[in-house]
Amino acid sequence: MSDLNSIPPPKFPTRLLRWFCNDTLIEDVEGDLSELFAERHKKSPAKARLKYFLDVMLLFRPGIIKNFELKNGLINTAMIKNYLKIALRNALRYKGFTMLNLLGLIVGLVSSMLIFLWINDEIQVDKFHKNGDRIYQVFRNMKQSGGMVNTTWSIPKPAADLMKQEYPEVEEVAQLSWLIDMEFIKGDESAEEEGYFATPNFLTLFSFEFLEGDVKTALNDLGSIVISRAIAEKQFGSNWKEKAIGSAIIIDDGREAIVTGVFEDVGTNSSLQFDWLLPAQYFFNRNEWVDDWGNGSFRIYFTLRDDTDLPAVAERMYDEIITHAAGQSNSGEEYLVTHKFQDYYLYSNFENGVIDGGRIDYVKIMTIVAIFILLIACINFMNLATARSGRRSKEIGLRKVMGAYKSSISKQFFIESILLSFVAMMLSIVLVLLLLPLFNQLVDRQLGVDFTQPSTWYFLVGITLGVGFLSGLYPAVLLPTFNIIRSLKGSVKQSSGAAYFRKGLVVFQFSISTLLIVGTAIIYSQLEFVLNKNLGLDKDNLVAIRMGDDFGERLDTYRTEIQKIPEVEAITASSGNPISYGRSTSSVRWEGMSEEGYEINIMLTDEHFIKTMGMEIKNGRDFNEQLTDSTNFLINEVLAELMGFDDPINKDLSFWGIDGKVVGVVKNFHMRNLHESIAPLVISCIAPSRTNIALVRIQGEANKALESIAQVNQELDPDEEFNYEFVDQVYAESYQSEMTVSSLVKIFAGISILISCLGLFGLSAFTAEQRSKEIGVRKVHGASVRQLVLLLSKDSHY
Amino acid sequence: MNKYSIGEFEEVVMLTVAVLYENAYGISIKQEIESRLKRKVSVGAMRTALNRLEKKGYLDSHFGEATAVRGGKRKRYFKVTPLGKKVLEQVMETRKQLWDSIPSVAFDFKFG
Repeated sequence: MSDLNSIPPPKFPTRLLRWFCNDTLIEDVEGDLSELFAERHKKSPAKARLKYFLDVMLLFRPGIIKNFELKNGLINTAMIKNYLKIALRNALRYKGFTMLNLLGLIVGLVSSMLIFLWINDEIQVDKFHKNGDRIYQVFRNMKQSGGMVNTTWSIPKPAADLMKQEYPEVEEVAQLSWLIDMEFIKGDESAEEEGYFATPNFLTLFSFEFLEGDVKTALNDLGSIVISRAIAEKQFGSNWKEKAIGSAIIIDDGREAIVTGVFEDVGTNSSLQFDWLLPAQYFFNRNEWVDDWGNGSFRIYFTLRDDTDLPAVAERMYDEIITHAAGQSNSGEEYLVTHKFQDYYLYSNFENGVIDGGRIDYVKIMTIVAIFILLIACINFMNLATARSGRRSKEIGLRKVMGAYKSSISKQFFIESILLSFVAMMLSIVLVLLLLPLFNQLVDRQLGVDFTQPSTWYFLVGITLGVGFLSGLYPAVLLPTFNIIRSLKGSVKQSSGAAYFRKGLVVFQFSISTLLIVGTAIIYSQLEFVLNKNLGLDKDNLVAIRMGDDFGERLDTYRTEIQKIPEVEAITASSGNPISYGRSTSSVRWEGMSEEGYEINIMLTDEHFIKTMGMEIKNGRDFNEQLTDSTNFLINEVLAELMGFDDPINKDLSFWGIDGKVVGVVKNFHMRNLHESIAPLVISCIAPSRTNIALVRIQGEANKALESIAQVNQELDPDEEFNYEFVDQVYAESYQSEMTVSSLVKIFAGISILISCLGLFGLSAFTAEQRSKEIGVRKVHGASVRQLVLLLSKDSHY
Repeated sequence: MNKYSIGEFEEVVMLTVAVLYENAYGISIKQEIESRLKRKVSVGAMRTALNRLEKKGYLDSHFGEATAVRGGKRKRYFKVTPLGKKVLEQVMETRKQLWDSIPSVAFDFKFG
């Protein structure tokens, strides 16, 4: 059998079993189940838990369930039985109203459940790491012109070395590069995959699931590579498990790397998304600039031996850069700060160096939306129940005559509403499961309901009881107050107060809906605004094509060929997509500068850049092919202001050891999305330019143009894959999460209106029914349909 | 049929209890049925059957010693009562009679 200290079975199902199971049976039934559980647990703990739960559910049947009547005393259960029976009869008698009630509740429950699933998923991001609450990330606050602070995760590498050597409190330090696109070549085919350079302990610091290989040593060897299961399958087929480890795969420029590990595909619950990892040392060896305190490079994550040391460590770290980079030409005013890695996903907006919200705002918005929708659905139920209370007045009167307390009548209505919300919940769960695939597509997530988690059940039961209680609250308070005699006569006149209260609730419902719609409109116009805002450059009809590293040298030939295509209006080259510009900063100095140099973005281009991008020169001149502009620079307005001259034209400027002059000031344009303020920028056209992106402005048919461009690319460089993106699309994608939230809010605002309308419909249908005699009499006297509609629309009283 | 009615599953359970003799308790009965009949039996289904059979008086049960496994819960051992045996015999008898009454041509499928 099983060993003596076997794992106890899950608590929740056991408690459930003890609750409903017959006392004479419970002991050995429970024993049987725990024996089975122990047996199954050896094979698969997760399955054992699920099966245990299923077994308990299957035991919920006559013959096993204990006799509740005997335990709770006769009268009580008899009454509850009676309440249930009456509730059922009432529900069946007025099918239309029951349907309406259920429909409202179901729509409300389904919507809010979907929203809560999404919220739960957002909150869970990055929470799966074992050390999760102990991992910190280092950020660098860079003082900009005008006192603004720019925050980046790109930290000088010496800072990491220093932390390892001189900070005894620090347990482990891992470094991770920026996201890199790399080619994986298999035979004739090649595919671009994204991944990082990482130090060996990245794998142990974080808890990404490792399938093959040794987590501790996988990234030790310079020639090694660690790949995801997806890549392993692509490279080695279905039996990758045997083949992958120790095999070589060809990456990038024909370099071979030996697979030393395979990890499970990174799920959507991680903010770090990657398909491969290469040893960071490989990168460090080939890029000596990383050893400079003045150059930001990889991200730094670390854990502490004792978390209480954090304030001390943070304080000590704060001005390490200033201390070490002092006197260097590329140093600026920079400070290191630390933040918990886990929180970064939700709190990622840095406002002047301090965290100020982020995704958490969307989570909050959606929570409010979910609660509003539930509230609207509950109000529907309240209104219908109280409006129709006349129907139940005789029953209430009779119950009172037979000696019912007010409290027992309250209890009856509570039970009724909880019953209804229970039924609605059952149907909602089914609906949610059916709708999930669709919803997942909408939010681009892999959401799922995990019924094996006790928390899921707590949530479902909680919502059912909560909704039942809330919607039963008003009827349960109002109905027991009916006067016995009047209610027996069937002539209960509800006080005008009750009717006003009902109307008030309807108004409240619609105000909530209106609020949601206004919110939607605001979010929508915000999105419209950012998507259509003038960025300082013309992003439409602009294609960015990724070229090889030697593109700068081939640029002239390429340009001649491309310009032969009739659909091409202009072409230029640059070192990055201008509106999703990765930070390539360097310390820039200019004449008369008193302090250290500033970290400033450098963009490398050719002479046609400004024209092709549709940017404007504010003063000075554009680059000119006729003049040699290799050491002449353009700067943007922000930098011009930073330099502080009345006229920056012809002033000396230097970076990377190149001394040149400013020839023109270009109007500001956004280099990333609007979340970030415009950074100072130097545009240079040193030849041969170190550019790797061709920017082509096209006119007319885009397809035709792309085809021709692809052909040219093929002819000039047959090995290079044709890799392009439309600049405006890239820009729109950087607003992905905003768009998701926008569409979510839009949909659920619509739903809230729908539910409110359902409630109003129910109320007016009821009024019409109540006044059927009046309508009949009016008809007999010749009232037209139009007049009757008008009469009912006036809604003078209920 | 006659005064002792019993379902197919109940019959299987009773027979298994008889087969296991001294060692017939919840899990062993379940596993025995699963291995012999190659069919899945849920704890719930089996427990109801055992319960009903005991109520009808076909099975008798007593608690065994408490052990450290099973979370310290005692096992309930089942035994077929004389009445139960009679029922089983009767079921077999009826079946046998039916088999005996089948004309030999009924199972002659050559010309079917």
